[in-house]
Amino acid sequence: MSLAVVQENLAYLLRGTVSTAALAGGVILLGTVAGLLVGLLRFVPSAPARAAVTAIVEVVRATPLLLLLFFIFFGLPAVGLRIPTWPAAVLALSLWMTANTSEVVRGAVQSIPRGQTEAARSTGLTTVQALRFVILPQALRRMLPPFVGLCTILVKDTSLAAIIGVFELTRAAQESIERTLHPFELYLTAAALYFALCFPLSLLAERAERRLQRP
Amino acid sequence: MYAFDPGAVWRGFPYLLEGAGLTVLISSTAMLLAIGLGLLVALLSQAGGRLGRGVVRAYIEVFRNTPLLIQIFIVYFGLPQVGLRLSPFLSGLSALTLYAAAYNAEIFRAGLEAVPRGQHEAARSTGLSPLQTARYVVVPQAVRICLPALGNNLISLVKNSALVSTIGMVELMFVANDISFNNFRSFEIYGATALLYVLLVLGLSRGLALAERRLRVAT
Repeated sequence: MSLAVVQENLAYLLRGTVSTAALAGGVILLGTVAGLLVGLLRFVPSAPARAAVTAIVEVVRATPLLLLLFFIFFGLPAVGLRIPTWPAAVLALSLWMTANTSEVVRGAVQSIPRGQTEAARSTGLTTVQALRFVILPQALRRMLPPFVGLCTILVKDTSLAAIIGVFELTRAAQESIERTLHPFELYLTAAALYFALCFPLSLLAERAERRLQRP
Repeated sequence: MYAFDPGAVWRGFPYLLEGAGLTVLISSTAMLLAIGLGLLVALLSQAGGRLGRGVVRAYIEVFRNTPLLIQIFIVYFGLPQVGLRLSPFLSGLSALTLYAAAYNAEIFRAGLEAVPRGQHEAARSTGLSPLQTARYVVVPQAVRICLPALGNNLISLVKNSALVSTIGMVELMFVANDISFNNFRSFEIYGATALLYVLLVLGLSRGLALAERRLRVAT
């Protein structure tokens, strides 16, 4: 154990942390927008379209993220589609985030009683208006806790990008370890930095959940 | 134009199936251990007073708010530095178990709290000891409440177990990497591997839904 090693490499690890935060932030932004859209696609009137969207979402959700990442980074070049490390990581993580966010959207929208839609429609609102002004405002409140939980998982899962060589916190730790040969201290420091990113999110999710329970 | 080679999948398939079997074995072993450990931890937080609750809270929060990959690396690369050298198999298994147990402990804690207080009191007043009350009255009810969440955790564990391939523990993801780095048919092999994971996860969630329905009827 040597604290000096941690001290010497802390600045480098912090650079990795900033990179992790940027990667996670970008993916959360992309995944949330796409996830909302895909989530709403699961309520389109055409049954085959709904089935197709559901099937794609289920396949992405059932595949380990590492496999998704390897498929994009190692598998697609085999068919002539070569994607560099950063875009490959963003693509894999965004697919994951989109699929899971869409599931959160679906669950929340379905949890709103059918009577709400019927009442809105009978007051003369169109289907889209009913969704926009009646269902979504209620559903958004219910989406918040699971969505924040999803963001926590995403921040943790950005660590997988290190495996294909993206520079972020885990990669920064690996590089520092290659120089210093002190894996124990440096991985623990990386864990502490991840904790600093994720724990506030977890608390936020918990608070949102408690708020939802209150009438 | 890329020529798709189904033969690559055909030749690799027996190995992939073997890998899938190992994935099932590893995740179910880790889950069984994690259920035991999670229950123990949850009971400790109920019975251990303020210190016990604090320790349990810290364990749960630390393991749930740091990446599993880092936890695996700490066990496999970090612990040898302080004198504890575990094989890839034991490293992977213990990291997966500790990670899943943190989630299970939180699930059990919530489940135990969901059992009405009156159940404790009624059991105690019929003359059962605190241990008997937990064993025969509270835990059986809590487990039933916890089952759906435990099932979801098992499904996550099956997918998360792919991460132990990074330290050389042989399972489905490791086999897929091994084959595709040798025959360069990564598109076909990873595609087939994804299919196996999807079948595994969908089969599991169907089975769990069935088990849940059975248990509900039994009450």
